Amino acid sequence: MRLSDRVSGAALVALGGLAAWGGSRLPAVPGQDVGPAVFPMLIGFGLIACGLMIALGVGHAFEAPEEEGGGRSWWHGLWALLPPALLVLYMLLAERIGFLLMAAAMVLVVALAFGARLRLALPLAVLAPLAVHLVFYRLLRVPLPEGLLAAPW
Amino acid sequence: MQNLIEGAALVAAPDVLVAILASAIYGLVIGALPGLTATMATALLVPVTFYLSPIAAVATIITASAMAIFSGDIPGCLLRIPGTPASAAYTDEAYAMTRKGQAETALGICLWFSALGGIFGTLALMVVAPALAEIALSFSTFEYFWMALLGLMCATLVARSSPVKAIAAMLIGLLIACIGMENPAGTPRFTFGLSDLLGGVEVIPALVGVFAVAQVMRALLMPEPPPLPRRRFGSILAGQWGLTRRYPKQLMRGNTIGVIVGVLPGAGADMAAWISYATSKKFSKEQAKYGTGHPEGLVESGAANNSAVASSWVPALLFGIPGDTITAIAIGVLYMKGLNPGPTLFTENASSMYALYLIFILANIIMIPFGIMMIRTSTLVLRAPRAAVMPVILLLCAVGAYAIGNNPFAVLLVALFGCLGFVMERNGYPVAAMVLGIVMGSMVEQSFVSSLIKSDGSLLPFVERPISGLLAALTFTALLWPVGVWVVQRLRGRRLRPSGAAE
Amino acid sequence: MQTLSRRTLFGAAAGLGAASLARPALAQARWPARPVTMICPWAAGGGTDAVLRIIAAGLERELGQPFNVVNRTGGNGVVGHAAIASAQPDGYTLGMLTSEICMLHWQGLTQITYRDYTPLALVNFDPAGVQVNANSPWQTIQQCADAIKASRPGQLKASGTGQGGIWHLALGGWLVAMGLRPDHVRWVPSTGAAPAMQDLAAGGLDLTTNSVVEARAMLDAGRARSLVVMGPQRLAVWPDIPTLKESLNLDWTAGAWRGIAGPRNLPQEVQDAMSGALKRVYEGNEYKEFMNARGFGLLWGDAQGFARHLEEQDRSLGEAMRAAGLARA
Repeated sequence: MRLSDRVSGAALVALGGLAAWGGSRLPAVPGQDVGPAVFPMLIGFGLIACGLMIALGVGHAFEAPEEEGGGRSWWHGLWALLPPALLVLYMLLAERIGFLLMAAAMVLVVALAFGARLRLALPLAVLAPLAVHLVFYRLLRVPLPEGLLAAPW
Repeated sequence: MQNLIEGAALVAAPDVLVAILASAIYGLVIGALPGLTATMATALLVPVTFYLSPIAAVATIITASAMAIFSGDIPGCLLRIPGTPASAAYTDEAYAMTRKGQAETALGICLWFSALGGIFGTLALMVVAPALAEIALSFSTFEYFWMALLGLMCATLVARSSPVKAIAAMLIGLLIACIGMENPAGTPRFTFGLSDLLGGVEVIPALVGVFAVAQVMRALLMPEPPPLPRRRFGSILAGQWGLTRRYPKQLMRGNTIGVIVGVLPGAGADMAAWISYATSKKFSKEQAKYGTGHPEGLVESGAANNSAVASSWVPALLFGIPGDTITAIAIGVLYMKGLNPGPTLFTENASSMYALYLIFILANIIMIPFGIMMIRTSTLVLRAPRAAVMPVILLLCAVGAYAIGNNPFAVLLVALFGCLGFVMERNGYPVAAMVLGIVMGSMVEQSFVSSLIKSDGSLLPFVERPISGLLAALTFTALLWPVGVWVVQRLRGRRLRPSGAAE
Repeated sequence: MQTLSRRTLFGAAAGLGAASLARPALAQARWPARPVTMICPWAAGGGTDAVLRIIAAGLERELGQPFNVVNRTGGNGVVGHAAIASAQPDGYTLGMLTSEICMLHWQGLTQITYRDYTPLALVNFDPAGVQVNANSPWQTIQQCADAIKASRPGQLKASGTGQGGIWHLALGGWLVAMGLRPDHVRWVPSTGAAPAMQDLAAGGLDLTTNSVVEARAMLDAGRARSLVVMGPQRLAVWPDIPTLKESLNLDWTAGAWRGIAGPRNLPQEVQDAMSGALKRVYEGNEYKEFMNARGFGLLWGDAQGFARHLEEQDRSLGEAMRAAGLARA
């Protein structure tokens, strides 16, 4: 997701516009001259100004030269969406199938995505969730969902 | 003197010593896990304190919070994932040192100067507490407004990037801070009808997302980095004395900023670290080295956040006013144990008071051996293959986010912030500036709106009051700084900046 | 510690299991046959959390099963309150209600009202007070009330919590009871009682209307004075502070309260067992000592008493919010 400054600047202008527009629709509050609308609008205008400056290349000289991340095809970049996607799956499924199974699946997938051999990934997928469960459930008393498979303790 | 000896006797009780040791280990572990903060470490201790004697109960809280603030530096340094918000200001710097093969020096700085800062903060607590508290109590919303604004000004200084992009990132953070109904008007803003957003976006999911998840995402796209030189991990404390002698001014400045910021209710260790890192950079002779693995800023801000931990107890002990969330919890425990905060604590309960001071100093001293053990253990992750470390980090992100409020929505937030942080980072927008915006956002608006209501819409009191006027002058200097630099840069022609960010 | 965490552990596991799985085999056993989950809608370490934890510890002793406190935070209390209301009404998920449940729905922030719960007991009530700076010329509430009546609208400033919070309503209701407009004294929103008290001490405000317990530190430090409590009777910890009724002959009362409740249609068996156990916990020394040490106000209401209290609070807070222009629903 490397974008040119023009694109990211334009995105900021759009975000700022939305913030200012959304802010301006907030109702005033009796007894407050500076109501809830003012700050979102100020921030929105600030974002628009920053976005324009970035699109025009102001301040670019300050940036550290970036190293190139290997010019692979664009779909390679989609790999990066794997961790957030797994987190969303975790949120949706953990209650139902339980922490241990969900966590094991998550660890296994990520480990394999990083190119681990099964010899490493499988023991990791078994041990890491157990260790995390032990610490969070017993020590910190976080109620991790049991689901289909309960922990042995 | 009599009180001091009695205080020492109270601390020397076996149950107190056991409590200190156990909570030290506990604090170190919690602080090092991404998403679990010093605040959470103390909150989880509260039910345990039901069963402890008063001094032991307070000792667990003091020790655990001091340890957690230090150990938040460890994952920041090793993996570029700050363990607590107080470490976020200088995570990039510490990580750059690790990439240069100086992990032990970086961690040593965090440890050594954390301990020094903590001890300095305690001494400040002992000597000048009443005077400091008096100043803190004269802070009205006008002063807070300038303080918060000054904090935001740090955005352009903490990041090694274009100042325009740093401000843009900070504005995004401020916009995120607008979400919810925790604003002066009590009006839900940008909640999109989701009740989960009514309380706003907390800093922790944002922090875990933009640092930890984004780091895992980045790692997926990048080939395994060249392995660090395989050698025995050097001594952790070697060279720290040299650094202390080399940067005495920075150390003292960090200590002082930490004490001052910590004393102010509502501004804690996080803010102290941001402000002192920015100050350090601004006054440094070697500004260009900042962000490339330069110890100077680490010295100053590492000392600052720990001295703030100690000094945030000043208003707590004297007036029962929480300096931050940790002392808010501690005040509850103090009341519960019959050590009611207030001036009477100093007169009627002087021996307990001295016991608290001694616990602070003791905690900061045992931080050094315990910290070394913790660092030794955790540096194993540097040698572990990436394919083993990253899955565990992602798992910790999910569980840590959930643990904040047992709310699955936080996991979704972490995922979203991961994507946001990833995109911002790739395009040169410093995520640290955004975190700063989230931390400070509500304070700016709250203090501004409250002040205007109190002054019936007049702006004069913002500059009229003495402390307020001073802070205003400072703020305007900081505000015009990047503009001045830019003009100078333009006039001199575009000089090549030393490239160095090894990441 | 060892046994405690083990029990807690089974408790949380079973509590969560209860939400999703029906366990017919256990259903016949006498309640509570397994650990009970107590939901706290506010964060660990806060006042509500502390009160709930001490009650849970007492219930554990009374009923012989672990009562595990689980903090479900977020959405200004909406998330946790909703979690209690939507739990299985089997008695294995209960929780603590706070004043916000009678306010959030008037603001249009949730559909849930007090009618979605089975009230079990009211255990705490912290009445609003009127605090002034120690250097303020007002020594009594009469002087303060006279000064307010003589002031221009909006001239005096008060604080204590955010816009539309419980202490804002306390002020508005008091002003209305005195025959003034609810915004006659201007409200300065703050992020809580502690910053408001700090601002009062710094000389930035004329008065605060947060509860006396929240003002305690400043009172003890000699930085502020409390002139009145807006409760039905004087507080045990501060017997010198008069009530509104006896000082100004006004009937307005307002305060933050906490109570134990479960989802609607809780089995009668659970209600009976809980009301007995809660009464014993409330009357026990441990609870009394804890509440007095922290300065929390004691007020008991059994299941019917709590139900009446909820109904009455919902109505009076709703009226105060409409009067102050804060209600949206």
